[in-house]
Parts: sequence; C-alpha cells; structure tokens
Amino acid sequence: MTSQTARNKIRKEIEDITSRSYRDIASTLPKGRMPIGFFCPFVPEELIQAAGAFPFRLMGTSAQITHAQAYLPPYCCHLVKSSLESLLQGELHFLKGVVFSHTCDSMKGLSDIWAHQSLLPLQFNLMVPTNLQSKHARPYFRAEMERFKDFLQSNVGKISSDNLKASIQLFNRIRERLGEIYALRRTVIDHLPGDYFARIIRAGYAMDRVRYLKLLEKLVDSLPDHAEADGSDVLTPVYLTGNMTHADTYFSLIEDAGAIVINDDLCSGARTLRLMVAEDRDPLEALTERYFRSFFCPTKYMTPQTHLETLMQEVADSGAQGVIFLLYKYCESCFYDYPDLKSALEAKGIATLLLEVEDPFQSKEQLKVRIQAFVEMLSPL
Amino acid sequence: METQTIPNPYREIHATAAYRRLMVAYYFMVKHARWFGKKVAWITSGGPVEPLYAMGVLPFYPENYGAMCGAGRVSVQLCEAAEQKGYSRDLCSYALTDIGSNLTGKGPLGVLPKPDFLVCCNNICGTVMKWYEIQARALNVPVFFLDTPFIHDDIDEHTLRYVETQMEDYIAFLERQVKRPFSEKRFYRVGARSLATIRLWKEILELSKNHPAPFPAFDAFIHMAPIVTLRGTRWAVRYYRKLKKELEKRVEQGIGAFAREEIRLIWDNIPLWYDIRNLSKILSSQGAVLVGDTYTSAWAHEQIDGAPSLAGFARSHATTHLNLGLAYKIKKMTELVEGYGAHGFIMHSNRSCKSYSLGQYDLKREVTKATGKPGLIIEADHTDSRSYAPKQVEKQIQIFLDIIRGKEQA
Repeated sequence: MTSQTARNKIRKEIEDITSRSYRDIASTLPKGRMPIGFFCPFVPEELIQAAGAFPFRLMGTSAQITHAQAYLPPYCCHLVKSSLESLLQGELHFLKGVVFSHTCDSMKGLSDIWAHQSLLPLQFNLMVPTNLQSKHARPYFRAEMERFKDFLQSNVGKISSDNLKASIQLFNRIRERLGEIYALRRTVIDHLPGDYFARIIRAGYAMDRVRYLKLLEKLVDSLPDHAEADGSDVLTPVYLTGNMTHADTYFSLIEDAGAIVINDDLCSGARTLRLMVAEDRDPLEALTERYFRSFFCPTKYMTPQTHLETLMQEVADSGAQGVIFLLYKYCESCFYDYPDLKSALEAKGIATLLLEVEDPFQSKEQLKVRIQAFVEMLSPL
Repeated sequence: METQTIPNPYREIHATAAYRRLMVAYYFMVKHARWFGKKVAWITSGGPVEPLYAMGVLPFYPENYGAMCGAGRVSVQLCEAAEQKGYSRDLCSYALTDIGSNLTGKGPLGVLPKPDFLVCCNNICGTVMKWYEIQARALNVPVFFLDTPFIHDDIDEHTLRYVETQMEDYIAFLERQVKRPFSEKRFYRVGARSLATIRLWKEILELSKNHPAPFPAFDAFIHMAPIVTLRGTRWAVRYYRKLKKELEKRVEQGIGAFAREEIRLIWDNIPLWYDIRNLSKILSSQGAVLVGDTYTSAWAHEQIDGAPSLAGFARSHATTHLNLGLAYKIKKMTELVEGYGAHGFIMHSNRSCKSYSLGQYDLKREVTKATGKPGLIIEADHTDSRSYAPKQVEKQIQIFLDIIRGKEQA
C-alpha cells in the first residue's frame, strides 16, 4: 500500500468516527467494554481502560438547547449546557456511567444536577485537590485515586497491576505519537490540514484506544520524512490557548487566513501531552504524581504566577508570532487569567486575539473577519 | 387581578445605631491598621478568621466590601473599571468591584487597606481562588490557600484530614508572616468567642420562627456584617447579645418587624444589595415578609464542636452551606420552609454566583414537592444592577404572592 493510500484510509476512518452524533457512535464502540463518560483529563482514562471499560470523553455537541434550560441558568458554558442537553435528550443512554472531576463551579453544579436526574446507572465524583502546591494535596489525591479504583472494581471489573501498567503504556504511546504529529505538522501541513488535525485529536476520545494507537502509528509512518516544498513556511505561526474546543472550524479558519497553529494549550490538545505517566513505579502513585508535575489547568492553584509563566514559556518555545485565546463564554477560570496573560504577552511584543465563543460548532462566520485581520496584522508585507 | 398595596410600617431595630458604630469602628481600624500596629489580611468570606484574630491580624473582607459598594450603588462603576482592564462582565461582580476599587482607589472606603498577605478558602466557590491570584500578583503579597474539597455526599475521613493538615500549615504561614509564635491560649479565647458569636447568631435567626417574625431576612442581611468580619472578637459577642435581647423582647410582646405579616417567605442566595430597600417595600406593602434565608444562616455553622479547636474549625469550614451538595441544600431549604412556617420561597438566580445558583431549578422542584409550598426564581446579580430588571421582578413577585394567597384561601 502506498503512503498516500494509507493516509487516505486513516483519514476516512477518523472522519467517520468524528462525524457521528452520540447516538450514532454507540454502534462503533468496542464490544465487551462498558462505556464510561468523562469530561476532563483529570479523570485518569488509564484506570477506566484497565478496569475493562471504555473511556468516552464528552466534549460538547452543537445540540440545540431545548431541555437544559429547565435545569441550568443561562450563564453556563456550552460544554455544560450541551452535555446536559444530550443527557436529557437520551443521546447518552449508551453510557453506563459518568465520572466528574472537581474543576470549576459549573462542572461541580452540573455533577449534582446530573446525578439528580438518575438517567445513567453509575456516577462518580473524583475530587481533584485545587491547591496542587500543598504538600498534603498529593496524599489526598492518592486516596481519591484509591476510591476511584475501588468504585471501578465494584462496578466494572478488577484492575490488576499488570492491566494498569499495560493501560498506562497504551496511553503513553498515544501521547508520544500525538507529540510526533504535533511536531511534524508544520512540515506536512498539506497532509494534515487543520480541520483534519482537529478530528484526529477528537477521535482519540471516542474510539477504541488500541485501534487509535494503531492509526496514529500508521499515520506517522505514512507521513513524509522531510518537509516537501508545501508552502507552510509562508504561514504565520500562532499559538492557540483556551478550553477543550476541538471543533474543526478554528483550525481551518486560522489556516485559511494564512496562519498555522504551531502549538496549542487546549485541554483536549497539546496540554494532555504533559500527562505522561512514569512507567517504572507503582502505577497508581505514578498516575497521581503526573498531575503535580506541571501546570495543567487554570482551575487549579500552584502559585499566582504559574499559569502566566507556563504560557509565556510555551509561546516562546513555539516561536509563535501571535496568541489566540479561544475561550468558552462564561469560563470563569480562563477569563480571570486572561487580562494578565494578555498584558504579559503584549509586553513581550506578542500580539493577542480573544475569541469568545458560545457554541464552538456554530460561530464560524462572525469570527472569520477577526481572525483574518489578526493574521494580516502579524504577517510581513 | 391588580394587587392592592397597603402601607405596612417597618419597626426599626434600636440596636442598628450600635451596629453602625461597630462597623464604622471596624472599618476605621482596618483602614488605619498601621496606626494600631496591626497587619492586615484580605480574607474570603468563608475563610477561617479565628487564627487571624488570635495572631493580632486585622481581616479585611473584599466580599463584604463588595456588598457595601452594591448597597451604596457604586459597584457598577467599579465593575466597569475592571472591564476596561479586560475583565469579562460575566465574572463575579464582587471580584470585579474589588479589582475596580484596587485599580481606581474609588469606592466608599477610597483606597483599600493594603494587605500584608491574603487568605483564600474555596469553601464558597472556585472564583475566589482566581480572584486572589489576581490580587496577589497586583499587590505583590503572599497568599495562603486553604483548599476545602466540595462534598457532594458525605465527608470522607481523608478529606477531613486534608483540611485539618492545611489548617496546621495556615498557622505556620501566619507565624512566618507575623514573626510571632502562635498562642494556643489566645486562639482558644478567640475560638470561644467565635463559637459564642455563632451560637448567638443562630439563636437570633431562629427567633424569626416566631409569628410574627422579629428579625426578617432583610434585617439579617444588614446585621450579618459582624458575624463575618468580627467573628472571634468581644465586639461581636457584645453586639449580638444586645441585638438578641431587643429581639427577644419583640417576641415576648408579640411584635414583628412589620405591622402586617400575612405571607411568610424564605429567601435563597445572596441578596440584591442595591435593591434591598425597594424589594423589602414591594413585599411588605403586600403583607409579605422574608422570615428566613439560606445566606445569613450559612454563618450559623451547624457542624461545629462544643470546644474551640483547629480540628473543629477545619470541619466547620469544610462543611459550609456552599460546600455541600444538592441533597444537603434540598434538606436545608425544606427545613427552613417548614421550620419557619413559610408559605413559599424566593430564589435569586445570581449570575455572579454559579456556586449558589446551579441546581436551583431542581432545588425549587424538590422543596415544593416536599413542602407543598411554591417557589419563585428571579434573575439578577448580587451587586451589578445592570443585570437586573426591577419592574419585571416586581411583576413576578406580585403574581407569585397572588398564587400563594390563592393557595392559602383554597
């Protein structure tokens, strides 16, 4: 099979998975694995996988909100609204359970509202400490991990040490391959245009992870070794930071405007590459430890400067000329940090653009002009 | 049907004069802390203040100040100052008011007292953590963060241990800031006064279980300031004893805060600080009185031990009203409605407080199911009057009161 044929085949599979609605995706899930939903990378997918279940990440949909208004006030982000909407409309009945992790006030409230509807058989709240700087946070979170493991063992299946180690290895390999794809992207943009790239990321939360790893490996192998003259050097490098919005729209809008997302800080994207797990120690300890190693989410506290320092370093390392903040409307954690991050970046001569989106799947045209103007401002004559 | 409004005279609480003197003295001290040789800590409203007083540190409460700005109707201009700096209007208006005050030096107190350090406890919401990070950067001062994991169901042993061990770190942090060892003896005295204040506050609020209610929620919103800011001081104990005595006298004489009390209501969430007087007038003119609320009763800690101890305060701070799940809130609201003999309840869907407001729709349904009493949800903001449509709310309240009257007559 030629590289081109292999790439086409992979793309077809990725696009098929990511084009499906929740209802349609149920038939594609691995047989014999209980589907367990989760929202956030603070939930260790590795444990769910090791228990014999299937971790399915809920990333929001473009569902029209018709039921959720009876349960939620209007000032919640789209992820919260659309996820509850999907639950109430019966789109998520294929899930046997859901795991919430403690992050922001909206997700905390959603967890209680979700549980109150009693529409899914299982629900678990993993209480991630907020003060990751405290020396007491680690033993506390370790105890929470044990509680989560017990929950899975009681309701799904036994988690042996070997299974957990194998699961950790599987997810680590996925992160490594994704890291390679991130690194390669600029040089092979013709093969990995933005909208497709966003789908590759999304597919990793909705399909069998063993299969997904195989696809990533094949994809990496099929990509050309060296940059061909594909014109990517004329694209302006920008850095994308914000929520978990992995809608295709933004990546293609940015590329259509003449820029390329050189790296991102999205919680469904490159940020998850920071979650590598040490493979040479007690697996549960290693899973706990990874969340304390680096700054991961603005809902968590390390020091008042940590988010700022982390972003500045990432942007500097990426070589981006501009930073786009892609934030869900009503995302408090991101909007509190935004003015200081913007000021710090602009003080270093890095231009910024704020895109505040209500429904990331719907707000295309209104953003197009703003992105174009921003990219033009960054581009040399 | 047009509701008839009849004047319903309000009886002033005599202790209010003492309350005003107390709060003026408190703000004078905290504003001029250096004159008194004191350090100042900014602290969140649910934070453990007792160790601060025990260490001779004066607490300043940005949230309490936000309420003051709201009541004084200066919050909007301070929020706008923060918005000009890039902060979203969707953020908490307490935080925006504080950020705006800090940026402009404007507000009822002028330039805010500069803190020596900050103390942040997330037992009320996640917002405070982000807010205090901003102020720690802006003011270049250290921050102590007490993390109290949210309790969806029951509190686990390891959660309690986590909070307790952080309380020990809090003491060590204070010792470093104040450069003085922590005195157990002094803490015990402050703690005992704090517990006495909490008990007094609880007893005062419960007096309104009497018919008519001597101390409606609108009064409690005002007189709650000392339980927040001065908990652990002699001043607070003395003041609440005085207030309680006056209110007990009202109960003995069968006198309520209003001459007419036909409909008794419970309030949920932070009040609309800028419209307290008007809302009170709207309700009282129709013979309705807010006899109890979930907000001020949050300071009548339920889970607190008899003797003051760090562990006891750790537990009580880990289990505040806003740090407990929906099942608890349903139980608490049901108890309030039944315990205070309420005919219904009003819930403020507060766009500044997701922590308080998410779950209110289920809460309303469940409390009505349990008590048979109707509820009304009004949408507004605790200090930002731009998100409030008074005429619309007035109409909603009128219709709601008509429904209650109809139910009671049936």
